[in-house]
Formats: sequence, structure tokens, C-alpha cells
Amino acid sequence: MDTKAAAKKMEMRGKGLGSSVTENPVFPGRIELPYTLTTGRAAATFLAELANHKIVGSRCPRCDGIFVPAQDFCAACGTSLDEFVEVPASGKLSGYTETADGLIGLVRLDGATNDFPHKLLDTQLGELKLGARVEASWAAEAEGSILDIEGFALGGDEGGEVKPLEPGAEPVLEQKYEMRLDYAHSYGPYYGMLFDGLATSRRIQGTRCPSCERVLVPPREYCDVCYVRSGEWVDVADTGTIKAFSIIHLEFVGQTREPPYVYAEIVLDGSATRLIHTVAGIDVEDAKERLQIGTKVRAVWKGGDPIGSLEDIEYFEPVFED
Amino acid sequence: MRDVAIVGTGQTVHARRRTDVSQAGLVREAVDEALADAELTFDDIDSVVVASGPALFGAVNQPEKWLVDGLGGRMKPVVRITSGGGTGLAGALAAMNQVSSGFAERTLVVAYDKLSEGALQYQISTLYDPFWGREFAVGIMGFASAYWRARIETLGHTEEAAAMVGVKNHKNAFLNPYAHVRKEITVDDVLESRPLAWPIKLLDVPPISDGACAVVLASDDAAPKTTAKPAWIRGMSYYGEADNAPDRFMLQSVPLQLAAQRVYKKAGITNPRRQFDVAELQEPYTCFELSYYEGLGLCPTGEAADLIASGATEMDGDIPCNPSGGCMGANPIGATALIRLAEAALQVTDKAGGRQVPNARTALVQAGGGWANLRGVAVVSADRN
Ligand SMILES: [Zn+2]
Ligand SMILES: [Zn+2]
Repeated sequence: MDTKAAAKKMEMRGKGLGSSVTENPVFPGRIELPYTLTTGRAAATFLAELANHKIVGSRCPRCDGIFVPAQDFCAACGTSLDEFVEVPASGKLSGYTETADGLIGLVRLDGATNDFPHKLLDTQLGELKLGARVEASWAAEAEGSILDIEGFALGGDEGGEVKPLEPGAEPVLEQKYEMRLDYAHSYGPYYGMLFDGLATSRRIQGTRCPSCERVLVPPREYCDVCYVRSGEWVDVADTGTIKAFSIIHLEFVGQTREPPYVYAEIVLDGSATRLIHTVAGIDVEDAKERLQIGTKVRAVWKGGDPIGSLEDIEYFEPVFED
Repeated sequence: MRDVAIVGTGQTVHARRRTDVSQAGLVREAVDEALADAELTFDDIDSVVVASGPALFGAVNQPEKWLVDGLGGRMKPVVRITSGGGTGLAGALAAMNQVSSGFAERTLVVAYDKLSEGALQYQISTLYDPFWGREFAVGIMGFASAYWRARIETLGHTEEAAAMVGVKNHKNAFLNPYAHVRKEITVDDVLESRPLAWPIKLLDVPPISDGACAVVLASDDAAPKTTAKPAWIRGMSYYGEADNAPDRFMLQSVPLQLAAQRVYKKAGITNPRRQFDVAELQEPYTCFELSYYEGLGLCPTGEAADLIASGATEMDGDIPCNPSGGCMGANPIGATALIRLAEAALQVTDKAGGRQVPNARTALVQAGGGWANLRGVAVVSADRN
């Protein structure tokens, strides 16, 4: 493709977006995950000894490097490291930068092979120069975290030596960690149309593939089977059939329903794809026997104003033909 | 394309939780074992493939960057492959292609997950589309149990038959020193165990594990110089399909059938039941093993329950399945498929110890991930194609 054609194609792709890209509504997604991380032998020792105001490194027996903070494996030769050393708490600045959170420096502690990034305290960019002496400033209370060293401040004497570590503190083998990720997902034209329809009129819409003529819900740009751009918009019923179901007793983090409940994969009438939801309005124990592949279901909508999500459907209830 | 062989394998001491090692330390343990098995050092390795599950499992994005030092990967090509539960085999396929193409003579593939660090079902639910389905997802278990229930209705894959799979694999796990679950159970124990996502019950479910597996692959030129007993990879393949494609067939895995077809053709397998001496199948739930018997052609469709009941897949049957105990012994998801491959290699090189199937020469390996939409198959043998 020549440059002109490529530019034209890009222009076509952006068509309709205009300058309002950022004004389109977005779908807020949040993932909040709890962890208990294992630190490994070296980090566990390093973190523990901070409480004793000791900075622990590892010596590589093969290449003689001293790595700070202590590492399980040599960054230079890959050797498994098990000799811990105490490194002087002062050294020289081998790099620095200013960030929104303050000054960050790369500190080469005396005797160390590698640089150690940390905060620079009580100074300004103009006062810094490569090779300047810095020394650790300790936090008032140790918590088994890298921030037990509050940061490095200008100063500190030369002549400190790397010494064998006299073991003292109990290794910090585990650390709690919370990951919280906030997303602003773009709906795009397909989800946008679907969720607008749900929010304004409780309409469920799909797209029909012009090649195989099957209706895809949620609607999408291309048919997954034919790879053909999908064509017309189609209203899909809020009734359907059960393709598969199970009964959830398990409890887990992030669950949106209280167990036990029926998990179901439903094919809405007029569509050819699976929708994941719950089936209620039936005793959970009876569900085992009474629900089957092909059992008819219909949506039970939540009261109040719809929000434009699958959650607007409270559940599906079975419709028994007897 | 050159033939490729497995010349060394290693596994960690798998456990529900390993607090003594970081993720990097876990990986290194398996690598040290594999190198020792192959009598090689890092200097002999040309390239490294890291395989692990979704980054949210371990809370570290791009973990291969962190692992370089522990893998001896400095100044070498290091890539990471991830593909759900089938990750380990997908990684092996990438490594195999590096060797068969001539890019490397010896490639180290290491697969791991340290699942004890976080909240597994919720992490798995984040694999769903954030707009559609995540609200009601129950990890992989809701989906898996629903289609097992459907196979009970249509293919006769009964709860009893699945329970027999669990009993067999738990029994075999006793023979495997790497398995961390060693529990003698009966069919009744399984049937009476607590329902988690009925029909899936507690004893239909593998453990959640911390573990790693490493395998060294070598070219047809390098392999005989490395070991007297190479395990030749006579075929390996990995197929996928769209999760929510229109009219997706859910009772058998089409990608599994495609992968098997392709690999069997390459390896000259026309009668899998007779030509394989042993199989290692990735059965994250007992019901999956039944489904794979059919998908892999070990029995006709609808006869999996009869196959398990006949005893044919027991250690002393004509097609022992999962002499290692399969996932029931240990299930570090990202590593699990590579463990199946490593176990197959041990079988065909007569190195499987107490779980050795006598005179095994050709082994079948199966791996799977995603919403049953990613499936891999391999054939490993003492003989070349
Ligand atoms: Zn070194
Ligand atoms: Zn189509």
C-alpha cells in the first residue's frame, strides 16, 4: 500500500470519531485482587535485616559480584546465590532524575556491583552531581518493606567495607499485596448500540452475519466463523433455551450471586451464540432434575431504571411446557 | 525441518504453597533438575522459552523479564508464551519450532505457576470479556460443569464414570514422587464429596498448586550427543477456536480433534488405542478425561464411560492414562501441560520409576486451556518418525 492509500485508510478508520473521542461514555472496569506473595530467600533476608539497619547483598562465588538488594541468582552469570553480605549503607550516585513523586537516584553502595534505585531526600536537582556521596536514611519504624530505608541523603563517609552477614532477623517470607486496576473500556459502536438498547428500552440486539446468516450476541464487527463483516442489526428475544447449566455451591472472591444458584449458558431465541447468566425461580435442588438441555427460559428484568448491562436482567426463569 | 527430541526433564517439589521460594526460585528448581538430567549447563543452552499462565496469577507482568537471571537467559533469546491451561505445551511447541527450524540446537522450555499467591477463580473470571459474561462467570468451573452435565445427558459421561477417573488418578499419584496430593479415595467418596459446581464435586477437582517443570529440547544432531535415550517428538500441534462463535459445538472439542488428526498423520498413528503404550492427559476435572478419551480416538464417541469401567486406562490396562496421577497429583496450571510432556518422555525412555509402564515406547500427550477452546496434542516416542 502506498503512503497516500495508507493515510486514506487511517482516515476512514477514524471516520465518525471526530474530536469527541474522549467524550464518549466509557465502561468502568475494576479488578481488585488480593495476594500473598512469596519473596524468596534473598529478598526475605534483605527485607528482614532492614529492621536492624543493615543492607544485605549477595556475593556471587563464580564472578565475585556483590548484588544489592540481595538476589537469589547472579545477574551476571546466573549462579544460584546463598552467601549474604552486609553492604555499607552509603555510596555514590550513579544517576538521578526528578519525577512527580520527587527525586529518584541510582545509588552504587560501596563495594556493590550494581546500582540500587531509591528516593533521594532533602535535596534538589541543582545540588546533585554524578559521583556525589549519599547515605541511607532510615524510617522511624520498620515494616519489612523497601521503604524501611526512607531514602538516601547527601553525605556519608567512604571506606565502609562489605562484611559477612551475621544472621539475626527472621526472614520476611511472605508479603501481602493488593492489586487494584481501574479501566475505562471504550464501548465501541457494537457494545455501545447493545448497551444503549438495554438501558433505554430493554432491547437485546445482535448482528447478523451476511454469509452464514446467524445472529451474534453480543453483536460484533466480524463473524468468528466466516470472518465476514457483520451486516444488519437484529432484535433478539429475551427468551431462549438452556444449552448447558450447573449448580454453583462454590464461594469465591468477586462472586456476584450468593450460592447455591444455577449457572446457565443460554441461547436467546433468534441468536446462535451463548449468553452466560443465572437461572432462578426454581428450587435449586429441583433444578438438577427439571432443567435440561433445551429447557425454555425467559428473562426477568430488574425493577427501576436499567443501567445498560447484563445485570439489568435479574435472572432467567424456566418456562415449563406442561 | 529437523527432528527434535527431549533430552532432559525436571520438576519442582510441587505443593499447595511453597513459601520457601519466590516465583524465580521455583522456576530455577525445575531448571536445575532438567539440566542435571541432561548433563548440561546453561552454556549449552541457545535459547529459552518461558511459559506461564495469565500474569494476574502471579501479580507480575512480563515475568520472563524477572526470570532471566534464574534461567541463565542473559544475552540469549528469551520469550514467554501464554495460552491458558495449555500454556506448557504451547511453550514446548514454540521451543520445538526454534530447534526444528535451526534457530537453536538446544532450547530450554520452562513452565510454571505459583497459584497460591492469589485468588484463582476470580483471576480466571477476568479472562472473560469485561462487558459480557464476567459478572456471572465462575472461573472455568461453571463452564466446565455445565457442559459436563450436558455430556451426562447426551454421551453418558456419568458422575460414576468421572469418579472412576478420579480414583484411578489418585491411586497413580501414589507412584509419583512429584505429586503432592496422595489420597486414597473410592468412587463413593467422590460421589459423596461436597458439590462445588454440580455435577463437579470436591473430589472431581485437582489441587491448586505451586510448581514448575523444565524440558530441554535438542536437534536430531545434538540429541544423540547429549543422551543415549532421547525421547523424540514425533508430532505436536495446538489448535483454537473462538469462545463464543455462533453454533459452537460444545460436546466434543473440535480443536482437539483437529490437533489429534494432524499429529497422528505426522506420526503414522492410525489406531491410537493400539499404537500408544501410554497417555498423559491434562484433566483439570475428572469429566475432561472422559471427553478426551473420545476426542483422541481412544474409544468411539459415547463410550468413554465404558472405557474407564473396563479398566483399560488403569496402570495394568492396555492404554494406561495418567500413570503420573495427572492433574490430581499436582496442578500448577501453567506448568501442567509441560509436566504431561515430561512424564511422557520419562515413560518412553524407561525413566519413570515406580509409575513406569513396562516397555512403553510411544506416548500420547494432550493439553488444554481456555474455555475448552484451546487444545494441544503431542506424540513422544523412543523411535523417530
Ligand atoms: Zn556471578
Ligand atoms: Zn458467519
